[in-house]
Amino acid sequence: MALPPPSNLSTLSFLLTTLATLFVTASLRLLVILSNSHSRPQRRQPGTPTRILIVLGSGGHTHEMFYLLRGLDTSKYTHRTYVVSSGDAFSAQRAVEFEQNLETLAKERGTAEAQPEPPSQAQSQSQSQSQSQSQSQGQQKQDTTEEGVGGGVATRRRRAPTILRTPHLGRQHYNIATIPRARLIHQSLLTTPFTSLYTLLSAIPILLSSPPLLPDSPPQDAFEAAACDLPDLIITNGPATAVIVVLASLLLKFFNVRGVQGRGKCRTVYVESFARVKTLSLSGRLLLRVVDRFLVQWEELEGAGGRAEFWGLLV
Amino acid sequence: MAEKQASKEQVTKVCFVTTGATAPFEALIESVLSASSIEALQKAEYTNLLVQYGTAKQLYESHAKAAIQRIREQGRSLKIDGLDFDQNGLRDQFQLVQRSNGVVISHAGSGSILEALRFQLPLIVVPNTSLLGNHQDELATAMAKNNYLIRGDVENLAPAILEAEQFKQKMTQFPPITSGKHRETKSFAGVMDEMLGFVE
Repeated sequence: MALPPPSNLSTLSFLLTTLATLFVTASLRLLVILSNSHSRPQRRQPGTPTRILIVLGSGGHTHEMFYLLRGLDTSKYTHRTYVVSSGDAFSAQRAVEFEQNLETLAKERGTAEAQPEPPSQAQSQSQSQSQSQSQSQGQQKQDTTEEGVGGGVATRRRRAPTILRTPHLGRQHYNIATIPRARLIHQSLLTTPFTSLYTLLSAIPILLSSPPLLPDSPPQDAFEAAACDLPDLIITNGPATAVIVVLASLLLKFFNVRGVQGRGKCRTVYVESFARVKTLSLSGRLLLRVVDRFLVQWEELEGAGGRAEFWGLLV
Repeated sequence: MAEKQASKEQVTKVCFVTTGATAPFEALIESVLSASSIEALQKAEYTNLLVQYGTAKQLYESHAKAAIQRIREQGRSLKIDGLDFDQNGLRDQFQLVQRSNGVVISHAGSGSILEALRFQLPLIVVPNTSLLGNHQDELATAMAKNNYLIRGDVENLAPAILEAEQFKQKMTQFPPITSGKHRETKSFAGVMDEMLGFVE
């Protein structure tokens, strides 16, 4: 008889059943993740510790990214992580310049706002301040400890006590994370999947936390805690690295690492390059159904994949 | 450096050409130094032509030499200068054009386009049609349709140079104040705020 022994048969069918179950469960889980991610966010006040992760790419993408982010409000986006590919000194340099420029702008605005204000305006500002205080007392408590510790921020606050919107600037409020390249120039296509996998794995610790200010010590305040937590928002525009970082965030969501799903962390937005007028880029096509929001900059691309949003030129 | 050179003499109207730093658009260098382009520039009363040639120094020099020779033979004036690449970006050159009421002729790289437009300059963008799958032409055409810039043809730049004269009056402001669906404006910052629940 050519029939295999019965024990072998049952192992095979057991394996097949397991695989099928795993596949169905995984697909269902993925469906839940992808539909869940479009839920409305909870309302948050400026000053709430918030970490964003910005994926930079080759020259053109980096240029466009900083046009998109111009005038970033650091009172809302209190920690920024810039992800650059290894060897991309240009993008890293641009990130530092961008942060320095934000500081210059904040200083200029700070001196302008230090001028005496009309009383009605000051009153409404203090009102909204007390409102936010009652809403997030725990956070405010930690906030005051920071005032005692962080000298620069504290003096700025003392100088203009009516300003609710404290900019969160300086070296402790941003970091630049380097990720290995997914594909080197002239690299064989055969080995690309392996290097991409390596890039994917390297993206996970970057997503989980930015490096603590002092190694081996717990976060000193709520802002540092947010910096050492999952990002609230991941911002991407065309480079290959962006696809991999978004996939890494999907992996975290799949296994609900650190409650990423329930806490509404790792929301993702993709902005198609302004150079794309009629067709989506490869990165765009790959991420179209995966990201929470997908923005295009030309009307002809509106509604691509049933969800591309068009709000005009954003750069 | 180029600005210093130019400002010593009487600068009244500058045409600045940028061809890209790493892989210069060589056909654009040839085109702008061709007889018909030079003639158009003279007709529009430009006094200076400044070419950023990147790594294509030899090509620039041979064509510039020929152009200068032609100008001299005709007994006319147009000063031609070149620079390879400015470490500090092209801000100085754009400001020079702004002051002199001139024009910028650029390759269709999105970085150069976005930078030049922020100076509210008349901008001629010349797509490199020999690059396949580069979408440069689509971008230049779409931008031109919205009157942000003039699309130039690398085979014949003269019409675009002459069109630039009247373009300032009808030029659309960039970045646009109202654009998008139903003229509704939403900045990227607005989308970010929405996604995280920062509602005012």
